[in-house]
Amino acid sequence: MTDPEVIISLKNAGLFYERRTGLFKRDQFWALKDISFDLYKGETLGVIGKNGMGKSSLLRILADIVRPDKGTIIRGNDRATLLSLQAGFIPDLSGRVNIVLGGMLLGLTRKLVMEKMDDIIEFSGIGEFIDVPVSTYSSGMRARLGFSIAYQCDPEIILIDEVLGVGDEDFRKVSIKVMKEKIHSSKTVVIVSHQVPTIRDLCDRVVWIDKGETRAVGKTEDIIALYLNG
Amino acid sequence: MPFTHYINLILYQTYANLRTEAVRTYISVFWWVLEPVLYMITFYLVFGIIFQRGGEGYVAFLLCGLVVWKWFDSTVRNSCHIIASYASLMQQVYLPKYIFPIVLLLVNTSKAMLILILFLIFLLFYGQEPTQSWLALPIIISVQFLFIAAISGLLSCMAPFLPDMQLIVSNIMTLLFFLSGILFDTSSIPERYAFYFRLNPMMTLIDCYRQVLLENQWPDWGSLFVILIASLIGITIAVSLFRKFDHVYPKIVSR
Repeated sequence: MTDPEVIISLKNAGLFYERRTGLFKRDQFWALKDISFDLYKGETLGVIGKNGMGKSSLLRILADIVRPDKGTIIRGNDRATLLSLQAGFIPDLSGRVNIVLGGMLLGLTRKLVMEKMDDIIEFSGIGEFIDVPVSTYSSGMRARLGFSIAYQCDPEIILIDEVLGVGDEDFRKVSIKVMKEKIHSSKTVVIVSHQVPTIRDLCDRVVWIDKGETRAVGKTEDIIALYLNG
Repeated sequence: MPFTHYINLILYQTYANLRTEAVRTYISVFWWVLEPVLYMITFYLVFGIIFQRGGEGYVAFLLCGLVVWKWFDSTVRNSCHIIASYASLMQQVYLPKYIFPIVLLLVNTSKAMLILILFLIFLLFYGQEPTQSWLALPIIISVQFLFIAAISGLLSCMAPFLPDMQLIVSNIMTLLFFLSGILFDTSSIPERYAFYFRLNPMMTLIDCYRQVLLENQWPDWGSLFVILIASLIGITIAVSLFRKFDHVYPKIVSR
């Protein structure tokens, strides 16, 4: 690779949440304290750390849902989307309407969603249930629908939270397979996980985060070795 | 993401929300008519028949006020928790947060326009001839639309920071209901208090609808213009606050 392009760059980023503890008293809790790393175009970056490392906060920063309270983030116009998306479903409406809604929430035009409709339905394996309200779906079916929409929407940067697969056993295999295809293609992917095998198998580079701070950034095997030695 | 995309998203979300309400109950869309009709019958029973207020033409007078008020009331009350109700969505995908109050406004406006059309049909049966002054109706509706947009925009962008606001607004709305001249003729307000009552734009708007629909007069253009300008300023402030806090709301709304 010749001088790959940096598409997201975090420098000393921190993020806090506030909690009201009294009438005028507030508590600040820094979920992220000092995070620095660059994300290069086309790479698969692993973020490893124990529970409580600030995983969901980091994913929200990468998806541009929240902005850091200290430090900086520099990003291009690439849209980063969580693949485990299930929000925005209206339970009383059919799968079909929810596909349009979900696709539009992820940034697709209605026309484009209509074009991809058959692929999404096919991929989700929901079949004839696509025309009945989502409220009648099992949680596995909902997960499949959400994943299929997000997958077909094909964001520039894919964010993966913890586990690769979603849904029931069969769909989990399928979803892991297609995700791996994405990961091995020229897509930019960020996988946040505390599972060493997942990270070791899939990632080009790894960031180790401990209690909201970057401990090390580098080649997968080096950082995994450091991480395992504590 | 281009702005036009968000407009399409707002329209589709509005359609989906209306459709949800329609499929949620057995008689679906009839509730959009039935609920306000029952509401109006209640007020007519109490104030028209039991208290024997008004006299001739009081039914049309009362209904006109209630129709106009209901549009404002339902939108403003709901705007206090609209951002919080989309908490889990905004924590998973970035969206400009002004989308949510606009969807609320469009859903309520669709329902209000249906009621307004039914009210106009009622007026025709009631013996009210449509006159030239009815031509001013779209202008009054537009001004009220912008006024509701301003109030509900300002409330919805502040509500996530002020959890007590919903209770305050709820009480103010109850107070305003009785002060906006829905039940009484505003010309009966004593002279020395009239100025203060006039500061309430809903009273002016309700008067304008009555002038146009029931009294064959042109509305009070000057007051409408003042409300229009104030509303546009309010909308501008709300939009800039939404921009300022766009990435803050996902942090502070509770799941």
